Amino acid sequence: MAGKAGKPNRPRKADKDEEEQPLLQAVLVADSFNRRFFPITKDQPRALLPLANVSMIDYTLEFLTSTGVQETFVFCCWMASKIKEHLRKSKWCRPTSPNVVHVITSDLYRSLGDVLRDVDAKALVRSDFLLVYGDVVSNIDISQALQEHKQRRNMDKNVSVMTMIFKESPPGHKTRCEDDDIIIAMDGKSKRILHYQRAQALKRLHFPMNIFHSGSDEFEIRFDLLDCHISICSPQVAELFTDNFDYQTKNDFVRGLLVNEEILGNQIHMHVTKDGYGARVSNLLMYDTVSSDTIRRWVYPITPEANFADQEGQSCTHSRHNVYRETGVSLGHGSQMEENVLIGRNTMIGANCTISNTVIGANCVIGDNVTLDRAYIWNRVHIADDVKVKQSVICDNVEVKHGVVLNEQCVLAYNVVVGPDITLPEGTVLSMHHPDEEDDEDDDEFLSDDNDVGYRKDKTKQKGSLFNPAEVGSEGKGYRWKTSSLEDTEEDDRAQFTLSNITWISQVYSNCSFPSVFQNEVHGTLQRGLDENISCDNLVLEINSLKYAYNISLKEVMQILIRVVLEFPFHQQGAQISTAQYSSHLLPVSMTLLKKWAPVFKNYVKRPQDQLDCLASMEEVFLERETHWAALVKVLMSMYQLEILEEEGIMHWFNQGSTTDKSQQLRRNQGLLKFIQWLQEAEESSEGDE
Amino acid sequence: MPGADKETDLSERIESFLSELKRCGSGAGSLRGSAETARETTALLRRITAQARWGNAGDLMEIIRKEGRRMTAAQPSETTVGNMVRRVLKIIREEYARSRGSTEEADQQESLHKLLTSGGSSEDNFRQHFAHLKANVIEAINELLTELEGTTDNISMQALEHIHSNEVIMTIGRSRTVEAFLKDAARKRKFHVMVAECAPFCQGHEMATSLSKEDIETTVIPDAAIFAVMSRVNKVIIGTQTVLANGGLRAVNGTHTLALAAKHHSTPLIVCAPMFKLSPQFPNEEDTFHKFVSPHEVLPFTEGEILSKVNAHGPVFDYVPPELITLFISNIGGNAPSYIYRLMSELYHPEDHEL
Repeated sequence: MAGKAGKPNRPRKADKDEEEQPLLQAVLVADSFNRRFFPITKDQPRALLPLANVSMIDYTLEFLTSTGVQETFVFCCWMASKIKEHLRKSKWCRPTSPNVVHVITSDLYRSLGDVLRDVDAKALVRSDFLLVYGDVVSNIDISQALQEHKQRRNMDKNVSVMTMIFKESPPGHKTRCEDDDIIIAMDGKSKRILHYQRAQALKRLHFPMNIFHSGSDEFEIRFDLLDCHISICSPQVAELFTDNFDYQTKNDFVRGLLVNEEILGNQIHMHVTKDGYGARVSNLLMYDTVSSDTIRRWVYPITPEANFADQEGQSCTHSRHNVYRETGVSLGHGSQMEENVLIGRNTMIGANCTISNTVIGANCVIGDNVTLDRAYIWNRVHIADDVKVKQSVICDNVEVKHGVVLNEQCVLAYNVVVGPDITLPEGTVLSMHHPDEEDDEDDDEFLSDDNDVGYRKDKTKQKGSLFNPAEVGSEGKGYRWKTSSLEDTEEDDRAQFTLSNITWISQVYSNCSFPSVFQNEVHGTLQRGLDENISCDNLVLEINSLKYAYNISLKEVMQILIRVVLEFPFHQQGAQISTAQYSSHLLPVSMTLLKKWAPVFKNYVKRPQDQLDCLASMEEVFLERETHWAALVKVLMSMYQLEILEEEGIMHWFNQGSTTDKSQQLRRNQGLLKFIQWLQEAEESSEGDE
Repeated sequence: MPGADKETDLSERIESFLSELKRCGSGAGSLRGSAETARETTALLRRITAQARWGNAGDLMEIIRKEGRRMTAAQPSETTVGNMVRRVLKIIREEYARSRGSTEEADQQESLHKLLTSGGSSEDNFRQHFAHLKANVIEAINELLTELEGTTDNISMQALEHIHSNEVIMTIGRSRTVEAFLKDAARKRKFHVMVAECAPFCQGHEMATSLSKEDIETTVIPDAAIFAVMSRVNKVIIGTQTVLANGGLRAVNGTHTLALAAKHHSTPLIVCAPMFKLSPQFPNEEDTFHKFVSPHEVLPFTEGEILSKVNAHGPVFDYVPPELITLFISNIGGNAPSYIYRLMSELYHPEDHEL
């Protein structure tokens, strides 16, 4: 640390070496904490859902490894054992893996905030780390951003706590997720984020004026950015989450930091990249786009045929028009794979099928005359003859019988059977889980994939209610869910969004708050301190936190503190007490108080200016109560004896030209004059001694 | 146990090499030269020979073949890796044969007579144990490494025989071999180089900057101007990614256009290719021949809405048929495309063509 204080070249260099040495760490949050993928995620955690036949978490880990991350902490909650099992089998846990993966599980994680608080509690990260979700697909080279981040931190002594990575993509881009539409105001030169706002469903935008006064002459307000959900964080981020236990999401965090920027002094920067690809599979629409982007090789070198996850038998070949085939694929006579098709191993496809923009998993059987367009078919699915599927997701072990037509945005969750001869309207969601199972939980505060573990076990399954043949066909099995989750109209998230808005507003409100509230709070604190005999250190801590909470300057804190202490007897005894009573009370009570809290005062009264402020506020208090002027001397005396105030300060205050008659009167008070005289003598005598 | 330590160290090295291979060339072309890849592969194979557990030549060949398969699968477009594996296998065969006392000649030439008389496969003979085999093989691999070190120099040494004063030379993209070749010639002669930029990756720009730094008169032309400029060109000198078994090339995008234009104007087309680029692969539509990278360079991701309506492809390689090629310059001299098959049989054992 000594090296940091000293600016000369040598210690700085040493610092740099030190900072480059620690291995790059990453925190991977393998839980989404929302239920966009419901009901699919009832059976399988989102991180393990296959995207182009490879689990999403493998993409994220591959990205991390290729950027040089050497240690990754995977946090899981919902179905943690499945994720653990998957990772144990994967190449990431082989002894030769360059990226050491630790899995940390807990049922208590309810949000990103919880995870980061745990990171802090366990002290897992030692230096800057990457924060990603388990469903991020990316090939962005972040070394440059990392470099910039480090430079900023070296320069400004840890002011910048986070660098967010954005990808340039103009509005209307298919990889832009509507939920993540954000408007960012940034400082063009330093790349500092000044304002961050989600633009989803907002018709009007507000920018606080103060962002334009921050001293920079170059501004950018951008709407063409795609949040890759990759951020470079310093260890402070975890600490900040601990300090602010109301932060749940990254959004809360960013907004909180920006609002409190002046107080906490933390900044957030951004890095905009044009190359590379980065997106988060945050809902089924994004699943569709990211899958097709992967097939179209936007994420090169992470492509299906690269077999980066290194799984046995997963190798596939790539031929023209982005047609990928794994081993053992059989294609019937007259069937055509038009473009952007990936077919998993041992899948059999019948005659005269037309397949385009589709991913088919392993061991599927597909009949004759089937038309698949933008279909995502996972493993072991049986599709009979004459089926038409358009832009739909079909999960493992589903059976689609003869003549079924799936319109846009249908979801068939695990083990569902549909048909025969039925047309599912747009946006149908079928699952083996009854939607009523969910009703209770919808009120749940934390809307997450993971909160229904208990419920599901308690609940006796109402299998009595039969499957509705009008919904799933005469031989079908499954329940229809109300809305399609392909459309990202998630009310719960909206609610959360508005909720966070409100808290934000209240924060702003309290920012311009009144000292009187603060005064009451301080009074309460001191009272409590007296009653419960709390140590001075803790009182200081509490007053400090109140200071931040009410946005009070140091000067005001002192004034209020003085006022509170001096008025303490009034509060205790009622306002109508005589001088004698006051001084007698103040003497035993307030003096002991003063003595007791001397360290508190000393903490706030440090510079000569502080003394003056302190005296001025003391004067103010006494000016309001003329009858008690005699007590002033006693207070001053004891303050002097406790070494809170010094002679010079008092003399300076006394000699200061007073503005009002009353204060001049005060200064002519007999007792005070005597005290001053005594002080002068004492000073002279001490000078004489020397 | 030191043995186990060695083993894990070895497998770690192999893993890191594999992952590096997988990642290399994420953007335009490969980040490292194939010469470097060849050297690294050979060094790694030497390490395997030295550290892995094997009792006889058969075991060793099995190990090397197994690792070789993994390495080639890691980056199918990098044929150099497979080629080096085959070279090492060939070395083992030769050393084994020498240890047994039979001459290399006899073993190498598969005459019809021999095929008839010997019967059975030669594989079962590799089971014999020789104490000094390991040392010999490592020695031979070291020789191979020295040969690899010198390839670029050996090729550029021949530059003066091919480039004459005041000639106009055309090249495409960036090839380290061609770069060295031209620079070597520039020490003695004055000539003009046209560089086709090789869109969309535009490695040609890099090449041109590098050449002009050496005071070579250089002009960058767009790929579309290749035919127009060809009439003024005396010679076309290009590099390649792979020389195929039939004498054709797998080279950067646009090379086929260039070769056709050269043919039309009867301009000689010279290919600078070190021997390690010679691959027993034949050109076919199958899997590993093509390499498609992210279409970002063709149609930027920032393009917006149009991306969902079109398919963009970013191919990297072209196939150039052997009839368009005049001459190969390798580190062992100049050869016609028709002679490639002969070089192939000298370098690799026929049984190793399929790893």
